[in-house]
Amino acid sequence: MATSSSYPPPPPYYRLYKDYIEDPESAPEPPPPVEGTYPLFGATYTTDDVLPSLEDQGVRQLYPKGPNIDFKRELTALNRELQLHILELADVLVERPSQYARRVEDISLIFKNLHHLLNSLRPHQARATLIHILERQIQQRKQAVEDIKRRREEAQRLLKESLQTLDGHQA
Amino acid sequence: MDIISQLQEQVNAMALLALNTFGTLQRDAPPVRLSPNYPEPATNPSEETLDIAEQPKTMSAALVQAAKKFDALVAALPLSGEEAQLKRIAELQAENEAVGLELQKQLESAEQELKQVQELFNQAADNCLNLKKPD
Repeated sequence: MATSSSYPPPPPYYRLYKDYIEDPESAPEPPPPVEGTYPLFGATYTTDDVLPSLEDQGVRQLYPKGPNIDFKRELTALNRELQLHILELADVLVERPSQYARRVEDISLIFKNLHHLLNSLRPHQARATLIHILERQIQQRKQAVEDIKRRREEAQRLLKESLQTLDGHQA
Repeated sequence: MDIISQLQEQVNAMALLALNTFGTLQRDAPPVRLSPNYPEPATNPSEETLDIAEQPKTMSAALVQAAKKFDALVAALPLSGEEAQLKRIAELQAENEAVGLELQKQLESAEQELKQVQELFNQAADNCLNLKKPD
C-alpha cells in the first residue's frame, strides 16, 4: 500500500481469501471506511464535504470576511466592480494595448469571487428545502389525521343506523 | 431552475458576453494611424464598416442588460439568517413529532375498531349460517 510508482500492481491480499468458500471466518474483514484526508493518485482528497475557502484555492477574497455576510449587497457590489473593470479593459485596449494582462486577471478574479459567493449560498438553500419538506410532511400528516377521524365517525354512524334497523326489525 | 442556479448561469452569460464583445471588436477593428510619418490607412467604405460601427452599441447594450438581469435576480433572493432557519427547523421538527404521535394514536384506535367490527361481522355471519335451516 505504500507504493508510489505510476502503475503499482494490485495488492496481494487475494491470497488470504483462499478458503473463503469453506470457512468464511478464516479470511480478514474488509478495512473500515477512510476518515479525514487520503491520497489518491498523488493528489490529496478529503472526506469532509465542505466548500474550500478562496484562500485554500489560492485566490484573493474581494468581499469582507466575517461570520455574517450580506450576500445581496456583496453580489451587487461585485457586479458593479465587474462592469467597471470591463470598461477599464476597453480603455486599456484602446490606449495601451500591451497592458491587457493585468486587467484580464482582475476580471477573472472578480468572476471567481462571484462564483464562490454563489456556492456558499447553497447550504442556506439546503436548509430552506428542508424547511419546505418538513412543512409539507406536517400538512400531509394533519390531512391523514382528519381523514381517519372522518372515516371513524362515519363508521360509527353506520353501525348505529344498522343497529336501529335491526332493533326495528326485531320489535 | 432554482434561483442560485439562475444566478450562476447569469454570471457565466456575462462572462461569455464580455468575451465575445472584446474578441469581435478586436478582430474586426480597422487599422489605426500610429505615427505622423506613415500614411493614412486605407479605409474601404463598404457594408462591413457599417456593421463595425453598429456592433459596439448592440454588444454593450447586451452587456448592460445582462448586468441588470443579474441585479434583479440578486434582489429576488429569499435570504434569511442561519439561526432563524435553524430555529424554524427545530420548531417544525417538534410539531412534526406531535402530529405524528396523534396520527399514530388515531391509527391504532381505528385499527382496533376495525378488528371489533370484523369480529362482530364474523359472529353475525355464523349466526346466520346456524339459524338458516338446510332444506
